[in-house]
Amino acid sequence: MAIDMSKYRDMFLSESREHLQTMGRLLVELEKCPDDREGLDALFREAHSIKGMAASMGYRATAELGHHLEDFLSGFRAGGAIPPAAIDRVLAGVDLLEGLIDDLAAERPERDVRAFIDGSAAASPRAPRPTTPAAEAGAPGNGAVTAPVASGEEILKIAIELVSGAVAPAARALLMLRELAAQGEVVDADPNERQLLQGGTVPRLELRLRSWRAPQEIKDLLLAMPDVARVSCVVERLRPATRQSRERTVRVRTGLLDQFINLTGELVTNRYMLQTAYNDGRDREMRDGLERLTRLITDLHHHVLQVRMMPLASITGRLPRMVRELEQQTGKEVALRIAGEEVELDRSILEALADPLMHLVRNAVDHGIEERGEVQVRAGREKDLVLVEVRDNGRGLDAEAIRRKAVAAGLLSPGQAQRMVERDLFPLICLPGFSTRTEVSETSGRGVGMDVVKAVTEQFGGTLQIASERGRGTSIQLRLPLSVAIIRLLLVECGGELVALPITRVLRTLELERAEIRSSGRQMVVPLGNELVPLLSLRRMLRQPAKPVAGTIPVVVSEARGRKIALVVDRLVGQREAFVKSLAFPLDRIAGVSGATILGDGRIVFIIDPQGLLDEGAASGGRSGVSP
Amino acid sequence: MGLRVLIVDDALFMRGMLKDLFIKGGHEVVGEAADGREAVEQYRRLRPDLVTMDIVMPLVSGIEALTEIRREDPEACVVMCSAMGQEALILEAVRAGARDFIVKPFSEEKVLETARRVAKRA
Repeated sequence: MAIDMSKYRDMFLSESREHLQTMGRLLVELEKCPDDREGLDALFREAHSIKGMAASMGYRATAELGHHLEDFLSGFRAGGAIPPAAIDRVLAGVDLLEGLIDDLAAERPERDVRAFIDGSAAASPRAPRPTTPAAEAGAPGNGAVTAPVASGEEILKIAIELVSGAVAPAARALLMLRELAAQGEVVDADPNERQLLQGGTVPRLELRLRSWRAPQEIKDLLLAMPDVARVSCVVERLRPATRQSRERTVRVRTGLLDQFINLTGELVTNRYMLQTAYNDGRDREMRDGLERLTRLITDLHHHVLQVRMMPLASITGRLPRMVRELEQQTGKEVALRIAGEEVELDRSILEALADPLMHLVRNAVDHGIEERGEVQVRAGREKDLVLVEVRDNGRGLDAEAIRRKAVAAGLLSPGQAQRMVERDLFPLICLPGFSTRTEVSETSGRGVGMDVVKAVTEQFGGTLQIASERGRGTSIQLRLPLSVAIIRLLLVECGGELVALPITRVLRTLELERAEIRSSGRQMVVPLGNELVPLLSLRRMLRQPAKPVAGTIPVVVSEARGRKIALVVDRLVGQREAFVKSLAFPLDRIAGVSGATILGDGRIVFIIDPQGLLDEGAASGGRSGVSP
Repeated sequence: MGLRVLIVDDALFMRGMLKDLFIKGGHEVVGEAADGREAVEQYRRLRPDLVTMDIVMPLVSGIEALTEIRREDPEACVVMCSAMGQEALILEAVRAGARDFIVKPFSEEKVLETARRVAKRA
């Protein structure tokens, strides 16, 4: 029976992307050092891998382009060096391959590669190989590589009706399936081989075949078989296919799988221990068993998280290419240093972080570096967090320009702006629509801005910090949790309800004496260090009835819009590790609520996001300040 | 070019009929066997292009012989001959690697066509 290739599709896509990233990196390195033989060999192998994988998947254009690049590179391998023009060409080829991979991922027909391949003569170190004429390509055994460029993967959809009196129709259908499998690859069949082996009546056989044969050839072949009444055979663009192929795949070290099995074994043992202890009514053993269970679950959780972890390298691979392009566009000279690529983060965080990281590096090159300089991307573990830092040694942020802009945009009064120290001004650049540049730069563009970088960071309970010194450079630090599913929460009570804040959003908690509270205009504030922090009522933000405050006032200090805020709550309950579930429609539309978790006693606790609550309050015109 | 054919059937009458039919079609009948055990021996010795194999035979059945032959030569080209009402056996034979099957009563045309088609693929 032919292999169903559709289930390998996602693996193909992710592996191809990795190969393309490596190609991009190797090319940038080769440009600096064009006679690096090993680099050239590695590049050749990458192209070769892509070709091979695409050919076995039947992706003709991708395979053909991979083959072309491999061929193109082999000419320079012999010479031992690759000229800049050829690097540009291969980079363009890599871009085209990326486009093809996108096409395949989106289940679109592959885009055309012929124009690119035909345009190769000028840059080629030798005459390009004659390409296979389309007429020859129909011959069997001709691999996908030399097959004509198809604008998409084509597939034959075949329906066969057997004559009504056919003897052993299931056996007949089986033979047909086998015959067709010899002519290509059976993608799926109804009934399938397993069903046919059960026997019974088979009035009709439907299947999809990936084949180099023309539809008419297949039709003739089938009509020549006994008991066949009618055959239809039409070409169809592959709408790949099974639902399972849309699911994401992840590669797992087999050692990790072994650990899962071991853990499962221990859990089973533990279950029997608990069962026995329960039957015998031995409390002490029950307690021991539960403790053991807790350890095992912690272990299991740890291992499951590991499966989701991916190295930062999976998103930094594009950066060298991007910096190279920026160098060409801006005429600046930029050295990009990447450290800590092996640091691992949860895959969903990495996926979300890819664009923001590119934006930060682009910003650093575009706004930071003047003539020449260095951009550093650095990652490292800091306890439960991962620090990702983008640092440049360029001109640094212009605090005065930020001050002017903030006043002009009505974010600060001239007086406020004047009083603010530099450190407090920097976070303002993360406000939506805030840019100290009046013109839109070609490279940084509009698209993703610092506001998006901050939003993505905070979406995962992370924080963003900016440090900058005039003439010395700027550093943007993202602190992100390692994983998303389980986070530490601070539980607080408010109006008889329990709500939670991600601990990463909590700067500190404290109990205020009434006497500590002051007022500034109509806003109540509380001095913290040498700052006056606005005091907001969580009850008001949650639209709960106000409550007269007696005794000390519990307060959670958090951050919103780049500024500290002090949230008044009824009671601080404590910290907890919790498995956070995202909310489904319509609950996901509630502003200021980012998820929910279920406590041990079954209560549902919503996780609130102070920034979102404030935005919502501002939008509905409500005031959440604590009145004097 | 004609095929070298081995005919396996416990009925002399059937063997004779098939033999005439193949010779008339321009093929060469290189051997005949009356049961499964003999079929395996003859196959080993003759290595024919095509075997027609009756399913129900004494001693060693057609399916057993088919299995044995395919074990020795996975490329062996065996067509099962069966009577009506043996659908389960046909299915089993196909599963065991029979290249095709023909159902008695045979039509001359069908037998020769099947032989041609099956042998061409081999």
